[in-house]
Parts: sequence; structure tokens; C-alpha cells
Amino acid sequence: MEPRPILIKDQIASMKATWPALKPRQRCFESVRWVGQLRPQFQRYKVRIDYRLFDVPNVRVLAPELIRLPNNIEGQLPHVYPPANDPTLCLYDPKNDEWDGSMLLSQTIVLWTLDWLSCYELWLMTGRWTGGGRHPTPPSEGTDLEEAQ
Amino acid sequence: MMNPPHGIDPFNDPVDRLLAEIAFSIQLPPSLHQKAVDRYEAVRNHLESTSSVFKDQIEHFYPQGSMSIDATISTKGTDDEYDLDIVAQLGGRFRFMSPLQILIELEKALNGYRGLKVVRQTRCVTLYYQDGMHLDISPSIREIGTCERQSHICHAKGPVASMDDHMVPMNAYGFANHYRDCTPIEKRVMDSFAKRWEVLNKGNYRADADVDEVPEPTEFVVKNTATLALQLHKRFRNIQFADYEGRVVPSILLSYYAAAAARPNTSLTDMVIRQASFMIVEIENASLYGQLINVNNPCHELDVFTDRWPENVSQQDDYAKKLKELVDGLEQLKRGQMSPPHMMEWMRNQFGGQVVTRAADAIANEIGYSIESSSQQYTRTGKLIIPAVATSATVVRSSKAIASGRNHTFFGKKI
Repeated sequence: MEPRPILIKDQIASMKATWPALKPRQRCFESVRWVGQLRPQFQRYKVRIDYRLFDVPNVRVLAPELIRLPNNIEGQLPHVYPPANDPTLCLYDPKNDEWDGSMLLSQTIVLWTLDWLSCYELWLMTGRWTGGGRHPTPPSEGTDLEEAQ
Repeated sequence: MMNPPHGIDPFNDPVDRLLAEIAFSIQLPPSLHQKAVDRYEAVRNHLESTSSVFKDQIEHFYPQGSMSIDATISTKGTDDEYDLDIVAQLGGRFRFMSPLQILIELEKALNGYRGLKVVRQTRCVTLYYQDGMHLDISPSIREIGTCERQSHICHAKGPVASMDDHMVPMNAYGFANHYRDCTPIEKRVMDSFAKRWEVLNKGNYRADADVDEVPEPTEFVVKNTATLALQLHKRFRNIQFADYEGRVVPSILLSYYAAAAARPNTSLTDMVIRQASFMIVEIENASLYGQLINVNNPCHELDVFTDRWPENVSQQDDYAKKLKELVDGLEQLKRGQMSPPHMMEWMRNQFGGQVVTRAADAIANEIGYSIESSSQQYTRTGKLIIPAVATSATVVRSSKAIASGRNHTFFGKKI
């Protein structure tokens, strides 16, 4: 049986109580968009979280533009979903059931976004992604990435 | 009675953390500090037991300068060599010798000591240990009837006596006490660094807890933010003037300003800025009138800390300009106005490439481990807080912070 999803209004209430900097911008009965600034370490990032009931949340960094590191072992920009010109952050492994709609975004996705931003900054500083994770096999080799999106 | 200041843990703020890691990687490890103490005690014993000239003639043998205030950092241009300063207060036999004679007697008595290289300098005799430690021993003659350990040290270039040879007034002991009075222990800072050394002893952040540990002696860790900031200023000077042939701002002058600017419960970044600002103001005020800054030992007016630097106004102006650039950069960092790659480049220019790389690597390892083990926390504005001891099983969680209770695995593509 599928877990019962948390209603959008309850997600919004929890987000407001936990992360006051993230403001709901567009919302309806089934979907919501939060935009706000977060600064886990060195820089302040404007992020956008889009979420639709029965779907997965999408997280984008609106500003500053994410920096690429050419020739890095982790790729030019690790742990994101394409397209390259509008990447969304890949915060959990969908095959491991790490997230579903019965969970509060304020207690999962936002924290994982902060984790991603922290690791991203350290990756820019050292060239190493130290927060763990995995990159799935490319499409030509029989991917699980396409299934995940 | 006022409560002692707790201080601000420098590992709790990202910019402070980076500066603290830099300070951590350049400072004399507590175990080497203990080794230095053992060594200078052994030197004293050697002098008293093997030299008839020095027998019963050493009144005091004590650390001065950085070692006396726990502010020692690696030597200019290197990352694993340390200069340590000792004062040998000598007795009546030496009172009637010339400065050069005293230095030569000390050199003679140390020659052959444990096969070490011994070099007579203008004001001291240096012992070079094979592990990179240098012990500078400055002979001094007590100024009778004055406050404790007020003395004169020798100044003589040699190899033959010169009209320039003279005795220099000093009270290093008094200044060290003054410095300690101005910079009281901040327990959070001291505990944090003691823990940091402990974690390093374990090998790395993922070390097996069962591994035998030899704890670093905590009495020698840095005890307050002012001293951490002083170490960073010394490193900054060493890097900025690495290729400069002339004299550079002396450590004792930096220590003087660190004591003057000390203010408990100030963050490390703010303290580095504050010390710099004190120096900038003094230099600018002096230069405005075409004068050189003039600083005396607060415990002994005739002990002039600026006797050899600055040599001219442009030299002090050059230093003030570099300090302003340091302050501007740190202010930008505080405001979050530097991208991480730009920040790294800027930091390397200020403090040297190797130590900044090492500091960033240590932070990346620590935070990466915290994230993977979900022991990290965030404030409601999103600021990352990492537990004080990443290896500890009992992570203390702050009620004000939001903890990431669920493990997650970064996924997705490399683009």
C-alpha cells in the first residue's frame, strides 16, 4: 500500500515553521513553489523548490549560477539531473526509497539541499565530493537514471 | 567577581573554521611544545654540568616570545620547522664581560652538544635540531633592583668586538605576563583545540575508536581567540614578505597589538580584523606626521619593540596596505561575497597555498563525514553546524538547530 501523502497545506505550514526564509510563491491545492535564500557556509544561494502532490520535488539553485569544474573526476557538476543549462539537484537515491510524499519536505528535502550546497562548496574548494552518493550508469549502459526522473 | 569568558568556538562558523584550520595546521603541536621544554631543560643541565664557566651561573632559563605565550608557528617559508626562544639569565661572572664575550662563551659551551649545529647570532646562539626545531638561546644579565627578570641581552655581530656592540634592555618575562593578563583563557576555544588535536591523533575522522591513543598535552594548546588571530597574523606576515630581503614586522610587535586589541568573546574572523585595524590606525597616524610607529614594552619602557622595524615610513605604509587588503577580503568573506574558488585563491595568497589546501581538505573530510553519517545540523537560516567531535558516538545536539535525522544518498548525473 502506498504511504498516504502529506497535504500541500501541511507541507507549507511545516516549511513556514521550520525554514522561514523559504516563502511559498505559487500554490494551489496540488502544488507549491518555495523560493528563498540559504547560506550553509560561505555563499548565499537563492533556491527554488517545486513540488506537486504525487510527484517528486525539484530543487534548483537560481543564483548564483552553479560553477562547473571541467575535467573533474566527479564531472563538471556532480549529483544533478540534466539538462545541463537548467540542472536540478539530485538529493536522494530513488531506488532506496529514501523519500516519498508521506515525508515533510522541511525535514528532508531542505536539509538535503543544504547538504548538497555544503558538499558543492567543498567540492569547488578541494575538487573532491566528500558527502558520499552514487552516480548511476550512463543511459547507453542500461541506466537507472532515466527511471529515476 | 566577573565570570571568565567562554569565548566563541572557532569551528562553529564557516569562515572562522577555515581560519582556525589554518592556524591549527601551522601551530606548534602540543607534543612538540613538550619536546621543546624537555630540550631546553636538557640544554640548561648540559651547560651547568659540563661547563665550568656556566656552573652555578644560570639564574633562570625560561621561554620568551611566542613560546612563552603559546603562539609559536612554523618558521617562515616552511611548514614543519619551528624557532623557539629561550632566555638564559646569567650570574655575576658574566656581569663584567662584553656582549661578544658572553655570546662566545655560550657558543663555546654549546659546541659539540649532541652533535648539533651551533651558530652564534647577533643576540643569541642557535641550536639546530635534526627534526627542524631551532632553539635560540639569548644570554641576559639581570638589572639589579628592578622588577622581576628585567635584564639586558647582548647585541654583538662579531666575530670581533665593535663599537656597535651593546647591551639591550628587555623584560620578556614581564611582557609574557602582560600578554597573558590581556588574553585570559577562553574555555570553549581551548577545549575545541584540545579536541581537534585529539581527533588528529586518532588519525582521521573515520578512525577506529579502539586504536591506542597518545593524548596531546592540553596545557600547551592555544587558549584564546586573540592568540589564534596572532598566529594567523604571523603567518600572514611570513607569506606576504616571503621574498623580501629586509627586516619584517617583528613577532613581538604583533604580540603587543594582539594583547592591546584583545577582547573576550570575539569571533576569530573579527579578531583578525580587529588586530589588523589596531595596527593600521597606529601606522596611519604615525605616517601622517612622517613618523615611524614607536612601541615599547608595557612592562619596561626602555625595551623598544620597534628598535629594528620599521626602518622607514614606506616600510610601515607597505605593511598597512597589506593589512587593509586582508581586512577587505575578510569582510567580503563574512558577507558571503566570494565564490569558493575565488575564496581559495585569495586565502592562498594571504596564508600560503599548502596550509590553505590542507585546511580545506580537513574541513571537507569532516563535513563530508558528518553529512554521510547524518550528524550535521543546520540553524533555521540554513547555517551548517557540525558536531565538535565527529568521531564521538555521543553527539550533543543543540535544541536551536535542525538535525538531519534521515540518511540520504546523493544521486543523479555528472554533467
